[in-house]
Amino acid sequence: MIAGRIHAIMAAGLEDPDLLARWQQQPELMRTCGVDPTTFDLDALRKFAGLSAKVRHNGLRFSLPSTFRFLSLAGLEIEVFAAYAAKHSRERKPYAATNEARIVDLVEFLQDWLDPNQPEHSMLWDLIRHETALAQLRNLVAEAGQPDCEKDPTARSVPHIAGHIILHEMNSDPRQLEKLLRRKSFDPEKVRPVRVRLGYWKPGDGTEVYILELDELGYHLLSLVDGRRSVADFSRRFNGKSRPARNLLRAFADLAQLGVICFDEQAA
Amino acid sequence: MKYVDAHSREVAVGLALGPIVPEFVSANPDLIDYVEIPFEQLRHSPEAGSIQQSLPVILHCASMSVAGFVPADQETLNAIKREAERTRTPWIGEHLAFISAEAIDNDKGEPTKPTSLTYTVCPQMSEETVERVTDNLAALQTLFNVPLILENSPQYFHVPGSSLSMVDFVTAVIERSGAGLLLDLTHFLISMLNTRKDATHEIERLPLEQVVEVHISGLSVQSGIAWDDHASPAPPEVFDLLERVLARVRPRAVTLEYNWSPHFPESVVFRHIDQIHQIVRS
Repeated sequence: MIAGRIHAIMAAGLEDPDLLARWQQQPELMRTCGVDPTTFDLDALRKFAGLSAKVRHNGLRFSLPSTFRFLSLAGLEIEVFAAYAAKHSRERKPYAATNEARIVDLVEFLQDWLDPNQPEHSMLWDLIRHETALAQLRNLVAEAGQPDCEKDPTARSVPHIAGHIILHEMNSDPRQLEKLLRRKSFDPEKVRPVRVRLGYWKPGDGTEVYILELDELGYHLLSLVDGRRSVADFSRRFNGKSRPARNLLRAFADLAQLGVICFDEQAA
Repeated sequence: MKYVDAHSREVAVGLALGPIVPEFVSANPDLIDYVEIPFEQLRHSPEAGSIQQSLPVILHCASMSVAGFVPADQETLNAIKREAERTRTPWIGEHLAFISAEAIDNDKGEPTKPTSLTYTVCPQMSEETVERVTDNLAALQTLFNVPLILENSPQYFHVPGSSLSMVDFVTAVIERSGAGLLLDLTHFLISMLNTRKDATHEIERLPLEQVVEVHISGLSVQSGIAWDDHASPAPPEVFDLLERVLARVRPRAVTLEYNWSPHFPESVVFRHIDQIHQIVRS
């Protein structure tokens, strides 16, 4: 077979993994290119396109070291990036120009692609969200000093986040997963499946990022805090009454004590 | 600026430029002899060349598509020549691979741009390609004042029309072109694993007397295929192969390619540099 023709077919497929997928579905299309489809290992070519995509995302390793280590140790790198390359090719979408945007795109892709019923996929989903949250908050520039604000809530108090927070419900603790990944040999069986609610918080004037382990109520309160709803609105949402229950006030007070939220008084 | 001593008879040990290298070189200025830099990195980030203030540079390249049927553009070749002269590299290592190819709808007679990839690809290993490489290399060599040496590709799958094994293909190219060999031991091991051949037997069949430089990096087996992986440490099998090569010949340089990850463990770099020195001395 003429070498130049073979190279042309390989290059076309590697540049456009969606074309490889079409060839896999309709091998006769390859005959129009003058080659016998049975001679090509299209699945291996698809995986090779995955390797190429992975190498092009090496810049993400700065922010996602544990994610990449997990991908490698779990044997998921090639499949993940092969599917990712095919998606970009299908959508005719070039990879984003910055590492920050590439992380966002990869997370978005994984949200659709990963199977939450597969333990290793679930661990990967926890880990990449964990590292992405840390990276995104670390990249935020600290703001000027925080204004003084009220810490004791009343029904008319309007809670708002003091700084920036990213909330994730995890199926395992990514901090434990990171520790296990640092060991010489990694055993995914040792990762305990446990529901963990984490708040990644950077105070507005701070440079540190804190990871808060939240209870169910605290997590849901923070996920609903928008700087507009008052404590009375929360109360109405939870139990239909404007007068907040003691445990709701205490939950808000605890979050304020941590410094994650503070209160403005709603105008009368 | 520092330059490679062209007359040295020692086996130099170096690192491929990557995120960990500038800090490593700064903290350990006498531990390695050179840094290998891809031309493509110098082209896109010229500031990468500043490492030559600390250590000599060997130029690597992935743009000449020596095993391809579409010639590299003249502007790129001129830029490689400029970098070769500026760095005073003792040779230019280029992949025995292709990086661009004809567009597949070229048969229609319409002018179309060739397909250009960002990653080199193992070519069809056939007599036709051997001839092509020999011709390409003869033409390219006239452009440079230093030798072009060829790096064996990793073979991940069978390329249709290939009639030669990796060893036979590399041997034919090296013998016919007279070029030096940049023996990437990890690529070699990957090829042997993926084609189910005995690496320790096959390595003895290579034209080892032509080896100028050796590359070492990691590999990972995923989805049923062994892949190149510069983010993981070279396995012991690669060092076994290095021992076999050095028992027969003295290459000019051995390069560790740990250049994909900013978190590559420094302890492994120390250990592997030491291991190479020990093998060289034994």
